[in-house]
Amino acid sequence: MVKVYKSTIMDAPVEAVWDVLRDFNGHDRWHPAVASSQIERNNPSDLVGCVRRFKLEDGSQLREQLLTLSDLEQSFSYCLLDTPVPLFNYVAHVRLAPVTDGDRTFWEWESRFDTPKGREDELREVVSENIYQAGFDAIRAHMGLQR
Amino acid sequence: MARVYTSSVINAAAKRVWERVRDFNGLPKWHPRIRDSRIEDALPPDKVGCIRHFHLQNGDVIREQLLGLSDYDLFYTYTILESPMPLTDYIATLRLTPVTDGERCFIEWSAEFNCDPSNEEELVANIGRNVFQGGFDALKRHFGG
Repeated sequence: MVKVYKSTIMDAPVEAVWDVLRDFNGHDRWHPAVASSQIERNNPSDLVGCVRRFKLEDGSQLREQLLTLSDLEQSFSYCLLDTPVPLFNYVAHVRLAPVTDGDRTFWEWESRFDTPKGREDELREVVSENIYQAGFDAIRAHMGLQR
Repeated sequence: MARVYTSSVINAAAKRVWERVRDFNGLPKWHPRIRDSRIEDALPPDKVGCIRHFHLQNGDVIREQLLGLSDYDLFYTYTILESPMPLTDYIATLRLTPVTDGERCFIEWSAEFNCDPSNEEELVANIGRNVFQGGFDALKRHFGG
């Protein structure tokens, strides 16, 4: 089992960051790796259990299911259903918390998954840097925030 | 039930900040409002269930019991047994979380308690500002921001 944990501080109020992140179908508007995304069966993107089907810039297609969504805790969880990358039993959690001292936001993004033996380091790096850290930086750019 | 939530960012790795705050008997070393502290019955300060008996700078006595301590998740939880504040059922948690993006950490200090509604606003403001934020400000000064 591989674990990935990334976290950062965003220079914006938690409501503003949550407003962007809570849309489970919104990642194609800000994540550089995601080319296009849609929710299957025309479900709303805040329907727990909905599935997002999206394409990466390299053309590969993935499906992910929303497992939990909380406007109170400003958090959501999801799992991978189909992927060309060998990430198995992948479950990820995103959580925001207010930094009351300065009206900023703490954002953590973590996951656990299985991979073929010998590819743990490579895939940890992909998830950690290309997905999570790149996502942090992309949201900053999308919201016009300073690093 | 009244709630207080205060959080901040300290410019040091979570491990270093934890070393400074994990000692349940160590408040006088890092919190400017606390004058002195001892653990009752000569117990070690990381024995869950131990009671710290301390004085504020103004001489008030507070007794608090350690309910939970985690060196893995970097938090501790405690309850007030005795204090001059008009409140009951007070449970608080101090928690650190690493920020992987830079050499800093996220610190949260929160509490829940019961009190007369006429006292709630003042208690929430006083605990949030003087106790929790006051502690954060001292840590920020110590760790340089």
